[in-house]
Amino acid sequence: MSQQTPEIYSVELSGTKDIVKTDKGDGKKYRGLKNNCLERKKKNHKEEFQKELHLGLSSTRAAELLARDGPNSLTPPKQTPEIVKFLKQMVGGFSVLLWVGAFLCWMAFGIEYSSNKSASLNNVYLGSVLVLVVIFTGIFAYYQEAKSTNIMSSFKKMIPQQALVIRDSEKKSIPSEQLVVGDIVEVKGGDQIPADIRVLSSQGCRVDNSSLTGESEPQPRSSEFTHENPLETKNICFYSTTCLEGTITGMVINTGDRTIIGHIASLASGVGNEKTPIAIEIEHFVHIVAGVAVSIGILFFIIAVSMNYRVLDSIIFLIGIIVANVPEGLLATVTVTLSLTAKRMAKKNCLVKNLEAVETLGSTSIICSDKTGTLTQNRMTVAHLWFDNQIFVADTSENHSNQVFDQSSRTWASLSKIITLCNRAEFKPGQENVPIMKKAVIGDASETALLKFSEVILGDVMEIRKRNRKVAEIPFNSTNKFQLSIHETDDPHDKRFLMVMKGAPERILEKCSTIMINGEEHPLDESTAKAFHTAYMELGGLGERVLGFCHLYLPAHEFPETYKFDTDAMNFPTSNLCFVGLLSMIDPPRSTVPDAVTKCRSAGIKVIMVTGDHPITAKAIAKSVGIISANSETVEDIARRLSIAVEQVNKWDAKAAVVTGMELKDMSSEQVDEILANYQEIVFARTSPQQKLIIVEGCQRQDAVVAVTGDGVNDSPALKKADIGVAMGIAGSDAAKNAADMVLLDDNFASIVTGVEEGRLIFDNLKKTIAYTLTKNIAELCPFLIYIIVGLPLPIGTITILFIDLGTDIIPSIALAYEKAESDIMNRKPRHKKKDRLVNQPLAVYSYLHIGLMQALGAFLVYFTVYAQEGFLPRRLINLRVEWEKDYVNDLEDSYGQEWTRYQRAYLEWTGYTAFFVGILVQQIADLIIRKTRRNSIFQQGLFRNKVIWVGIASQIVIGLVLSYGLGSVTALSFTMLRAQYWFVAVPHAILIWVYDEVRKLFIRLYPGSWWDKNMYY
Amino acid sequence: WKEFVWNPRTHQFMGRTGTSWAFILLFYLVFYGFLTAMFTLTMWVMLQTVSDHTPKYQDRLATPGLMIRPKTENLDVIVNVSDTESWDQHVQKLNKFLEPYNDSIQAQKNDVCRPGRYYEQPDNGVLNYPKRACQFNRTQLGNCSGIGDPTHYGYSTGQPCVFIKMNRVINFYAGANQTMNVTCAGKRDEDAENLGNFVMFPANGNIDLMYFPYYGKKFHVNYTQPLVAVKFLNVTPNVEVNVECRINAANIATDDERDKFAG
Repeated sequence: MSQQTPEIYSVELSGTKDIVKTDKGDGKKYRGLKNNCLERKKKNHKEEFQKELHLGLSSTRAAELLARDGPNSLTPPKQTPEIVKFLKQMVGGFSVLLWVGAFLCWMAFGIEYSSNKSASLNNVYLGSVLVLVVIFTGIFAYYQEAKSTNIMSSFKKMIPQQALVIRDSEKKSIPSEQLVVGDIVEVKGGDQIPADIRVLSSQGCRVDNSSLTGESEPQPRSSEFTHENPLETKNICFYSTTCLEGTITGMVINTGDRTIIGHIASLASGVGNEKTPIAIEIEHFVHIVAGVAVSIGILFFIIAVSMNYRVLDSIIFLIGIIVANVPEGLLATVTVTLSLTAKRMAKKNCLVKNLEAVETLGSTSIICSDKTGTLTQNRMTVAHLWFDNQIFVADTSENHSNQVFDQSSRTWASLSKIITLCNRAEFKPGQENVPIMKKAVIGDASETALLKFSEVILGDVMEIRKRNRKVAEIPFNSTNKFQLSIHETDDPHDKRFLMVMKGAPERILEKCSTIMINGEEHPLDESTAKAFHTAYMELGGLGERVLGFCHLYLPAHEFPETYKFDTDAMNFPTSNLCFVGLLSMIDPPRSTVPDAVTKCRSAGIKVIMVTGDHPITAKAIAKSVGIISANSETVEDIARRLSIAVEQVNKWDAKAAVVTGMELKDMSSEQVDEILANYQEIVFARTSPQQKLIIVEGCQRQDAVVAVTGDGVNDSPALKKADIGVAMGIAGSDAAKNAADMVLLDDNFASIVTGVEEGRLIFDNLKKTIAYTLTKNIAELCPFLIYIIVGLPLPIGTITILFIDLGTDIIPSIALAYEKAESDIMNRKPRHKKKDRLVNQPLAVYSYLHIGLMQALGAFLVYFTVYAQEGFLPRRLINLRVEWEKDYVNDLEDSYGQEWTRYQRAYLEWTGYTAFFVGILVQQIADLIIRKTRRNSIFQQGLFRNKVIWVGIASQIVIGLVLSYGLGSVTALSFTMLRAQYWFVAVPHAILIWVYDEVRKLFIRLYPGSWWDKNMYY
Repeated sequence: WKEFVWNPRTHQFMGRTGTSWAFILLFYLVFYGFLTAMFTLTMWVMLQTVSDHTPKYQDRLATPGLMIRPKTENLDVIVNVSDTESWDQHVQKLNKFLEPYNDSIQAQKNDVCRPGRYYEQPDNGVLNYPKRACQFNRTQLGNCSGIGDPTHYGYSTGQPCVFIKMNRVINFYAGANQTMNVTCAGKRDEDAENLGNFVMFPANGNIDLMYFPYYGKKFHVNYTQPLVAVKFLNVTPNVEVNVECRINAANIATDDERDKFAG
């Protein structure tokens, strides 16, 4: 990462370099490009240039360049080859141990075979079974992963784009991938810019650069060169941004990956992918289990060798111990569990690209959220009105359903007329049935807001405009800062013209001499001007964009009906108008967001707003959604309240902070850490994409798990860097979606909270699943240890163990994923990445040494019962192993003096396996039930609430029955038909397990924080 | 790491304080003590279901197995006539094996029974009444009895004796009231050629019904299994010969593919 960082900055800094680079690479003809660009205003080359403009490139030259530079498209981020992914699954996790086991098996057979040709094939079978298990689970995990990736790729939609290009002095429409450097393209409003282009000529062009720079305001574009930095200069348009209005003719200067956006996208793929917390947890868990398996294995290998067992036998013991210790089915179970949750989340509009990200969201402790679109509705909306010396609040909710302000005033009548008439925005045709707020509009954001506002209140705006025919109009421009139009009135007796005007409030006020209050014109005096300024400041302080409105009825005698208005000569008055009111607009927060932020708060998640927008706007939105809570103050607020200078305020008195990109620029990383650690409520405003990355890194230095939301290409490095990147499904660019781990299909912040909830639940449930799975490992391991040390006939075979791990236990452990939360999981702190492990010491100890041991005893009871009732009393079994396993001993005496042949003994041994298997199975049912909760009593949780658990139990029993009675005659599987009563021998132990666990939970609930709680709560 | 072993600030040894360790020790003492007690109790309950003199189930022993003496690794009896040591241990084993069959011991401990019928000894109301066994005298084995035999069961002359016995199974009425005998043959044709002639003691390899049923070692203390001795008269030397013996009895199946030693 440390190496990557400077490169990311270089995007901003080396923008001009890019052009230089292109120049160098482009050969003679284009060497002059930069100079051209810089000196163009001198118009030295104007004629030559004009020629080029008309001719364009020849198609042969274009083909050459295309061959050299490649198509004009972003290379998708490098994918890991499928085969590598597959092989990774094959050697990951426990697979290595099982491979070792398999090879040991074959080796053992090889050695045995070389000394004795009739060596039994058992070891070969076992080895093959182990390999099959590895391959099977590998394929399964691979399939699961591939499936979840596929959801994503089907989600991407590639729309082929066309570009209008001049080639061979003809206008042609070609797919934009075929553009090359030097092409002359024409772009009109609504089109996407097909490459990085330098503007040669433009007409009223504005582009939306928000996906690149985060600026939500449309940017004007013209042929003037205004800045050294290509991102700042006005004569360059960037690939993948949109031209909102006007037309441009421009020359392509960069294509494909060499465009600015291509740079950012490729940087994003350069940012290393951090391991997800759950991956770390699972690795940790695999290490624990593998450590236990290998150390016990080696310990007993040494013990076996020193007890004079043959080395070959000792190796076979080693394999048995490894197989018993490794929960073969667990990783597959985890994958299934995660994908089940992913599916559930997809239903709630969180599409998870990377399965492991499901849990990451749950451990998130900081969310760095974008403002526009995520927290807000991403459209300007009228929020406040000021007329009659009063501020009125407009409804900003998603559907504008109830506007409650006073509409009876005659001032409102005038104001609404101005709003309606002094507006160029129009609904696109053919949307009669679309709700007003969802209708598409031609026009800029504020005009759209006004149009929709008036349409909601007044009804058909187009009809009103028709009745008030427009006779003249001056559109808004940045020098005038106002917009004006002159209309006939809809009153047929009134022959006056109505002039309406809107614009920057201070400009409008300058032009007025009267003010309308309650429908009466009053002279504009000091006090009214003051009232205006108070209102203006107040609305501005809310971060809203304020517009002023005024009108004037032109006297009929001076301006008769036939009067010719000339907007260039301005042959009409533009001063001494009548001021009517103010209207302020804002991109309002989504209605669900404040609630979601509160939820995050109570869940201990810090929500930080990072936006490119203005600090005041950012703060206002932050306040309205609760990112800055109502009673907390920033340093500036305190300073204002106490009327002292900002510097005098003790920095740490404030709870909230608004930090701008400018301030951030001068801070060292220590200072950033300080801010992140000390303020509870932080808003970063005016930040650049690079600073977003700095903020994310700062958060990660605090050991936080950081979620970042974003939609623009510029966000993609931060999305990638974040522990979990959340892209917006609707507004998000493809680059952002590619870099993200999760996609919010509805762009709604509230969906993240749902995701957090699911993530936390799955973490808890995985704990239960793992505890459940680990428990039986002891019951599977003990037989081998007893077998080696005490010399009993082998109580359970390796194959039988595999049938438990991969057969009866699979569905129950998945069923635990459906368990409901025990308490309100959104009311506790996010887990600490390093302290709250998935598999912690109490979990391992409790599973292994408590329940596991009880289970082993229960299973041994069944085993001894079977042997005793067949004639071998427990005493006789001790140290019987050697005689028992000799193939030529066919008259082994039991406790009653009867003599057994080898095959008769083997059959009894298999019955023993089956008995032990059934013993474990019966107790695993109890284990499954107790694992439903970790703290609450089962009866609090409800025994029957999770139906899937019962499906799991049923599956366990059915599989057990099938193995024993269905496959009892297949010798290779070493199952036998077990007498029915043996199924019930372990039931007392199963009940004991349940009772014991209830007692444990009872004490945990009774004495929280006690020694018992610390050691018994996992 | 040193801090982990002994942390002087918190007085923690291996990450726990003394009290915590004490709690742990106490807990596991009590917990495992309880588990042991629980297991012992359930085992005891289970053992109550098992009787002392007959096993509860004998379903695995429907067919008794046949076994030979001398018992050797892989059941190959290798005899090198000139090398005393190669068969000396067989002889030692056989001597020991046949000792209880000495006529004197048999006469002292066991009854003379009526041949040709089962020697049933019902409890007659007395629970677990000790059972008597029938005599099987070593002399019945004729040339293979090894009494006053300078040839050491024929091993020194290359005419070895092998003893065949049937596995004991409690309450098993072998032969279902009909006479039964043991027959031997070479496994394959060439084995049969190499095997040559052999004689069996008692004649025809007969096993008498009077040795059945067996009542279990606890109450049938001096039970002596009936034996059949096979003396191979002219085995081809230096060739591995596979001999297969089977018992011909009405209720003993001898054709179990998986268990070659049954019957």
